[in-house]
Amino acid sequence: MSFSRRSNRLVPGIAWVTYLFLLVPSLIVIPISFGGPGEMTFPPRVWTLDLYRQFFADPAWWGSLIQSLQIAVLVTLVTIILGVPAAYALQRTNLPGGKILGGLAMGPLLVPVVVLALGLYLQLGPIGLVDSTWTVVLAHSMLALPFVMVSVGAALRHLDPSYEQVALIMGAGKTRIFFKVVLPQLRAGIAAGALFAFLISLDEVIVAYFITGTDTQTLPVKMYSALRWEVSPVIAAVSTILTVVSLTFAIGLMWLERKDRHD
Amino acid sequence: MSDTKPYLDRWTGLALLLPMAALLAVFFVLPLARTIWQSVYEYGFTLRAYEMLLTSTLFWKVLQTTFAISFTATIVALLAGYPVALHLSRLPPSRRMPYLVMVMLPFWTSILVKSFALIVLLGYDGIINNALSFISGQDIHIPMVFNRVGAILGMTNYLLPFMILSILSSLLTQDVNLGRAAEVMGASRFTIFRRITLPLSMPGVLAGVLISFTLSIGMYITPALLGGRQDMMMANLIDFYTRQTLDWPLASAIAVVLLFVSGVLVAMLGKVRGSAGMREMSR
Repeated sequence: MSFSRRSNRLVPGIAWVTYLFLLVPSLIVIPISFGGPGEMTFPPRVWTLDLYRQFFADPAWWGSLIQSLQIAVLVTLVTIILGVPAAYALQRTNLPGGKILGGLAMGPLLVPVVVLALGLYLQLGPIGLVDSTWTVVLAHSMLALPFVMVSVGAALRHLDPSYEQVALIMGAGKTRIFFKVVLPQLRAGIAAGALFAFLISLDEVIVAYFITGTDTQTLPVKMYSALRWEVSPVIAAVSTILTVVSLTFAIGLMWLERKDRHD
Repeated sequence: MSDTKPYLDRWTGLALLLPMAALLAVFFVLPLARTIWQSVYEYGFTLRAYEMLLTSTLFWKVLQTTFAISFTATIVALLAGYPVALHLSRLPPSRRMPYLVMVMLPFWTSILVKSFALIVLLGYDGIINNALSFISGQDIHIPMVFNRVGAILGMTNYLLPFMILSILSSLLTQDVNLGRAAEVMGASRFTIFRRITLPLSMPGVLAGVLISFTLSIGMYITPALLGGRQDMMMANLIDFYTRQTLDWPLASAIAVVLLFVSGVLVAMLGKVRGSAGMREMSR
């Protein structure tokens, strides 16, 4: 019995080392970002907002934040507008090749991102489509599509098709049924897909690094370039902003998942 | 449900699928085809790029580095992740949530934020070296970043959520009665772990290892920011040939090799897990 008790503490003991290793790198940027501009220490010797002032005083920094937010919003809209009808069609028809198309939509998950980044660069560079906001939006939409298809697909599988049949018998048109019967029931799945799409676009570096130029630089690309030259303290403020946004969205996702389970 | 007539007719279905298919065609299929094409075409069909790869010492060195770092990071993630999965599986479901949040936190944090944090933590004058100096009263500067240790730690941090969730899913499907029966028969906790829990969790371990290794070999940011000059991986070499030497066929040939290796790994994962592995990756 004594052994049993010891091993009871052994597993959580080792587990906590890993928990700390998981937790600390994601959270330590927050206190550091409130330190002085000359040093990166933990805990900070003085608590100031200097690094945030530095961030918002430099248009290259906040400009790329605006650019990233803009792209992420557009990516969310594009993936939802393209993904929801497609997921619905895949569920409610048996088109030949439908399965292949559904599998293809999962493809971006399985291919190393750097390969896609190179392909997009080679494909779009010679015809002058790089360094354009819409190119980044569509490339990010391709990367986010699998996540939207999975979230919406899961919601669709819970959807009872007899509601649609009843509405049809009652004389409603198919467009009307889609908007009045189907969409309201998919709300949680669509919201989860939208959060995924936004976050994936906001954090994406490699594709954006390959296909953006100085005019379209996103925040992660600017951050990556900055990190390659020098580790400047202002990056702590950038990191905190990104982390807070990511965490807010992640909590939103978990809340949606929980709600889904209770409904 | 499947025996009811399809609710949407063929044309409506096609119309709804068309925009997504167009996006995939232009931004996924075409770039992949272009990469493969570019690797064998320069003013006509040629295998020059592949011949160059075969004889390039740099490429073989990078390939070796890629496999060495990916392998080590995967093993470290397995050793650090298994106890966490075990811990999570033994918690009652109602108490699991806060721990799962800790596991998922790095998944939601930007890879750049984590890389920056690890530089600040592990650097020459970093937080850990400073703390060690303070405690010991000596000047301590253990090199932990901008070398292979840094690259591996950064990658392990990235891989852990995938590894843990994969192992956890196979731990949770185990029948608790097996352990109870063994306990009644007088087996010690360690014996139960060694003879029942561990062998039954092997599918999850294997899937976690395959997912981690697949993700590792394509890594770009972590080796570039946390590794040293010697720790260039395949993705970094692709970037090098694309931007520095502008040798697109060579960059494409490396991308094709990377695509092939990860394709083989994904196929193996499919064999191990069916569609479960995919679900893991999409979470």
